[in-house]
Amino acid sequence: MKRIIALGTAAVLAAAAMTGCSVKDDSGGGGGKGKKQITFLVFETPNQTPQVWDAAIKRVTDKYPDISVKKLVSPTQDRTAYAKQLLTSGQLPDVMIAVSPAGFAESGNLYAWQPNELTDFTYPNNGAVNGKIYQLPANSQTVPVVYFNKSLFAKAGIATPPKTYGEMMSDAEKLKAKGITPFVVGGGKDIHDALGPTFAGILGTDLYAKNPNWMHDRRAGKVKFADPDYVKAAGKLSDLASKGYIDKRMLSQDYAATQAAFLSGKGAMYAMGNWFAAAADDPKTKPSFDIGQFFWPSDDGKLVVPTFTGGGLLVNAHSKNLEAAKKFALAYQLDKTNLDASTKNDGLFPAIKGYTPPANSGPVFKTGYDMFKQAESQSAVVPAFGFEAGDDGMLPGVADQWSASMGDLVTGRKSASDVGKFLDSEWQKAS
Amino acid sequence: MAVEVARPPTRTGSPAVPRRRRPVWPRVWHFLSFGAPGVLVYVCFVLAPIAVSVGYSLTNYNPFGPKTRFVGLSNYKDLFTDSEFLTSLKVTTILTLIVVIVPNVLGLGVALLLDRRGWLYNALRSVFFTPVVLSSVVVSIIWTRLLADDGLVDQALRGVGISHPPGWLSDPSYALYSVGAILSWQMLGFCVVVYLAGLQGIPQELHEAAEIDGAGPVERFRKITWPLLAPALTINTIVMLITGFKAFDHIQVITNGGPGTGTTATIAFNVLQTGFNANRQGYASAMAIVMLIIVAVASAVALRILQKREVSL
Repeated sequence: MKRIIALGTAAVLAAAAMTGCSVKDDSGGGGGKGKKQITFLVFETPNQTPQVWDAAIKRVTDKYPDISVKKLVSPTQDRTAYAKQLLTSGQLPDVMIAVSPAGFAESGNLYAWQPNELTDFTYPNNGAVNGKIYQLPANSQTVPVVYFNKSLFAKAGIATPPKTYGEMMSDAEKLKAKGITPFVVGGGKDIHDALGPTFAGILGTDLYAKNPNWMHDRRAGKVKFADPDYVKAAGKLSDLASKGYIDKRMLSQDYAATQAAFLSGKGAMYAMGNWFAAAADDPKTKPSFDIGQFFWPSDDGKLVVPTFTGGGLLVNAHSKNLEAAKKFALAYQLDKTNLDASTKNDGLFPAIKGYTPPANSGPVFKTGYDMFKQAESQSAVVPAFGFEAGDDGMLPGVADQWSASMGDLVTGRKSASDVGKFLDSEWQKAS
Repeated sequence: MAVEVARPPTRTGSPAVPRRRRPVWPRVWHFLSFGAPGVLVYVCFVLAPIAVSVGYSLTNYNPFGPKTRFVGLSNYKDLFTDSEFLTSLKVTTILTLIVVIVPNVLGLGVALLLDRRGWLYNALRSVFFTPVVLSSVVVSIIWTRLLADDGLVDQALRGVGISHPPGWLSDPSYALYSVGAILSWQMLGFCVVVYLAGLQGIPQELHEAAEIDGAGPVERFRKITWPLLAPALTINTIVMLITGFKAFDHIQVITNGGPGTGTTATIAFNVLQTGFNANRQGYASAMAIVMLIIVAVASAVALRILQKREVSL
């Protein structure tokens, strides 16, 4: 009898250990009788709070009660790296948002959307990988817009926003002379998001304005990071720091702290994606000063607007509930309330045909949206360096080194030329 | 005269008594019922992943890449000419040295101060131990805020007249040492507790006898306390050594390997970046195996050296 009890206990313990350490796979129909359960990978930011995600998911599941959704939250802003970890352990979510499709798509892990499923999207071919669309091209994001503190500009005697890069540098000098930090930047664990938009502004106006296919050419080996165009642009970022327009010490700030620093008046300009409008218009975070905005100026004053269109949902091609996952993804992406919410909560510009933002959108959002529409009509849009996706983006692994290399430029640890050579060697390793 | 030696009765001479042999199976079942769950868990979650990693390290495995093929030891050969890996090895070594030395030295000092009776000392022991039980992510976030440009540390320094305090986390010359200090702060309580346990195991009579013989406090520490704390030193050194070598989460949250390329990137951080960002999982596995070997060898050597000086009463 004792033996049976001991064996039974051992079996129960072993089973408990095994089940406790594995992920329950109930995507085949869990989440209630007759319901199809899908997993949905999201990420949280100061704008995209848990409540925002829950409400957005609920709107779709209310419409489709046969679908239940298990929300998975990426532990860091780098949801792509987290999705890779989940893939490696056989747990790739059924639906993901704002994950780079690179790698996942080529290896057959993502569902390729059919043209008839993309008829509602303004740019149905954006972000293609080998000619196929794996990520719904749901919204456009201008990266960066330069937001500025009107009070600090006035204090430094700057009446109008700069039209050329030279004017911006001269304004930065005036601000510095008044003891005001010209540019608010960040780094730390979020260097890509906190410093990347500033560099994307420089690279957009210097590199992509000359050659919008630069990244494709890099993939083809026709251009290099060590070429004079990239090195010149990298040198500009380096100069911002060496001239004291960027406070190197701000590199320790993560994304949230960087945003908070600008909102609390710790610097005059903040080059950031248009999603910042959400925080600028939110009564809870709205600053006491007025915010103005302009696009990162080019040397000659020609309008160049780095923009990324994509960022939408992706579906796991091997999902046990593929149809439910597709239905959820499209419904989530096209739901008017969700789109309105995305403009309010994340300042996004939905790239959906016929969509107009809500009339009660905040002033910073409205101004940014109108500026973008104007730039779009003038064909001034170029890719946003470091924020591209699919065939338009850097090779896997290089993007991280590109982000880290910005730290080298700002701290002066490496010259622009050395950074260019370093990135070429990383590209070589990744290819 | 012949002496007849009485021979002991032989078994054959005695009536046959069948010996009752203990059956084997109950003993096997007994062993299995107690040992199997532990062994199973160990095999599944420790040995098998190591074996799988060794297997991957001999391939060019990339979950998104072309077909995986066997590459022999080429990943290992490449590692030793890879400047990123060598930098991360250097970073890890410096971080490990900080984490082994600082908490050990400070921990011993604090333990000596707290080795007294009374509610205040009990409360202080809890205070020192609190960071150990905190999540490393929480600790990292707290210290990121404290060491930020407008954080409490810099505000305090400005308050005492240092108008330009160092960029603790933003200056490549300081960042690694700042992370080392944060890790040391978190692990200090562990060393304190282990040393306190060691101190409380030293009989008071030894100190009293030495005092009667005229030994002063320094002499008593050198001749009695320090030798008898050897087991505690062994435990602390090994645990800190392993903590330093596998440092990852603090790096990920505080600096993301920066500022700049690789200034605070440890091997563990590099493994994750290479495996899950660059998708070179075969190569990352080779890094992980090299790290495993380094940790195992360093721990074994340290253990052997430190155990030699252990004494027992």
